Amino acid sequence: MNSFKLTKYNIGRTFIYLILIFFAFIYLAPLYVMFTTSLKDIEEIRSGNLMALPIDPTFYAWKKAWSSACTGSDCNGLAPYFWNSVRIVFPAVIISTIVGAFNGYSLAKWKFKGSEFLFGALLFGCFIPFQVILLPMAKLLGMLGLANTVTGLVLVHVIYGVAFTTLFFRNYYVGIPTELVRAAKLDGAGFFAIFRHIFIPLSTPIFVVTIIWQFTQIWNDFLFGVVYSGSGTQPITVALNNLVNTSVGGKEYNVDMAAAIIAALPTLAVYVIAGKYFVRGLTAGAVKG
Amino acid sequence: MGSISLNGINKSFGSTEVLKNINLDIKDGEFLILIGPSGCGKSTLMNLIAGLEELNSGEIIIDGKDVSGESPKDRDIAMVFQSYALYPTMSVARNICFGLEMNKVPKDEQASILKRVSELLQIDHLLDRKPGQLSGGQRQRVAMGRALARSPKVFLFDEPLSNLDAKLRVEMRTEIKKLHKRIGTTIVYVTHDQIEAMTLADRIAVLKDGKLQQIGTPYEIYNDPVSHFVADFMGSPGMNFIECIVKDQNLIIESGGQKYELIIPCTEALIKSNLDVVLLGIRPEMLTEIQPSVADNSFVQKIKFDVEVIEPMGADTVAIGQWNENEVMARLSPESGNSAGKGFELQVDTSKAILFDPNSGLRIR
Repeated sequence: MNSFKLTKYNIGRTFIYLILIFFAFIYLAPLYVMFTTSLKDIEEIRSGNLMALPIDPTFYAWKKAWSSACTGSDCNGLAPYFWNSVRIVFPAVIISTIVGAFNGYSLAKWKFKGSEFLFGALLFGCFIPFQVILLPMAKLLGMLGLANTVTGLVLVHVIYGVAFTTLFFRNYYVGIPTELVRAAKLDGAGFFAIFRHIFIPLSTPIFVVTIIWQFTQIWNDFLFGVVYSGSGTQPITVALNNLVNTSVGGKEYNVDMAAAIIAALPTLAVYVIAGKYFVRGLTAGAVKG
Repeated sequence: MGSISLNGINKSFGSTEVLKNINLDIKDGEFLILIGPSGCGKSTLMNLIAGLEELNSGEIIIDGKDVSGESPKDRDIAMVFQSYALYPTMSVARNICFGLEMNKVPKDEQASILKRVSELLQIDHLLDRKPGQLSGGQRQRVAMGRALARSPKVFLFDEPLSNLDAKLRVEMRTEIKKLHKRIGTTIVYVTHDQIEAMTLADRIAVLKDGKLQQIGTPYEIYNDPVSHFVADFMGSPGMNFIECIVKDQNLIIESGGQKYELIIPCTEALIKSNLDVVLLGIRPEMLTEIQPSVADNSFVQKIKFDVEVIEPMGADTVAIGQWNENEVMARLSPESGNSAGKGFELQVDTSKAILFDPNSGLRIR
């Protein structure tokens, strides 16, 4: 074992770690407050210290937030809206990812006249702010008869997501040697066979990146949710807002905190489960043959 | 059967003409090498034969059938790529069988082809591995196995050995030659390595700036090049080129502080060309130390040579000096070469010397 010596290097290291710990603390403090507050009863919150651990932890607030808190006029908790979000997110993520993979594959490996322009135009979609398209999109959904429906929200998220997913897949596939496509062509494989047998098996990292990205974006979306949903089809973000703004009697901070954590849990879970691929996938370049 | 005829091939990318009016007939079973410096269009020509690029004009006929407009898979061609282009997620066995799978060959037939090919290339112990777990030489074999599996009419090799280290390259070169002897299928092989070209080819086609310079056997290309370019490209160490003044059908050489009149063959052509200054081309192996027994050869002369640099290569030693202020390389035996210096006595045999027009670079003959 080497004994710790106060060298210039070690002083520098210690300093770096202290700064890192400090910032980690600052970022984690709100989560800590949310979590401890959600486990306290309302008496303790009013009288106690914000940073203190709960004296008598209780899951009352979590139960209420999930099943009986009032969001506007009805008092069924977040549960129905949680499932609304699931019903919006899953199809939207799956469809936009598959379309993006196909687009990216075509734009990267089957160049045609105008394909670069098309890619540029698609890329432009990444920079259009949500607010700009609110009215025209509402009009379109009305014309399609999809206003206030889950299907309508899925459509909006797919359209908005395809620009990003195409960009991800296209940039990933550009790094895969074109000679693989040529070899496969000589082997008698066509557009779809090459995609299925050669590109899909190489795509795990970029699928994970795209799914995390899309899942987080769509689950956390508030604006489209609040504008295009009806009373029965609101996603959880909108419900959370309503829950916090509805006060019957006194403000129940513990319920608000529990509700906020419930709304954020799925994205956290996705990141914890697949996060290492996210970092790896973003830096993954050429595939060695 | 796999003869190929290329008739009047033109290809350009945008405004850059890559290939200009290429005409080439490749016989069935022939080993043809396309050689040239990088950017000469040799890989493009190969891609055109494979159908990976589209022609601007001209026609490609394989085995008597015009395939100019056909897609790669309908041409019955297999290709080995410079980067091998093995499918990284598939096992070696599936890499070899992928083409068969795509062409709906029955499973049991695939298995017997796989067995035959993998035994032929001695890769039968690697079949379950992924390409990433193979060495360069093994990947090379798998790439060849993939090409062999389909028993095509024509094999295309696109600089297949350039990613291997020097020793392995020589080994694989021999293996490719043996393989060709065994299967006898037409091979078109692109390289920029003139040693590969000399050792492997039945015939060599030399390309430069998208134009075919010369087609011939390795012997013809080496000993009877049509131009300064071809002569310069083939051979290592390369041919010596010396600008000489013509005097009475002889060439004036200044070497080691003295003037010599070099007697050369092909004097008739020289007279006919009516040039005062010509470019003399002579291979380094024609400049040696004094040989004990010189046959009665009027083209052999002794010349003093100031050796400036010696480069021992093992089997022989290259000595570098100057004639008429042009660099000249002589190929000496290690015994006499390693101590060569100023005033070395050189034996020059001009019987195979050739002459070029210094302006056009073409042969005088």
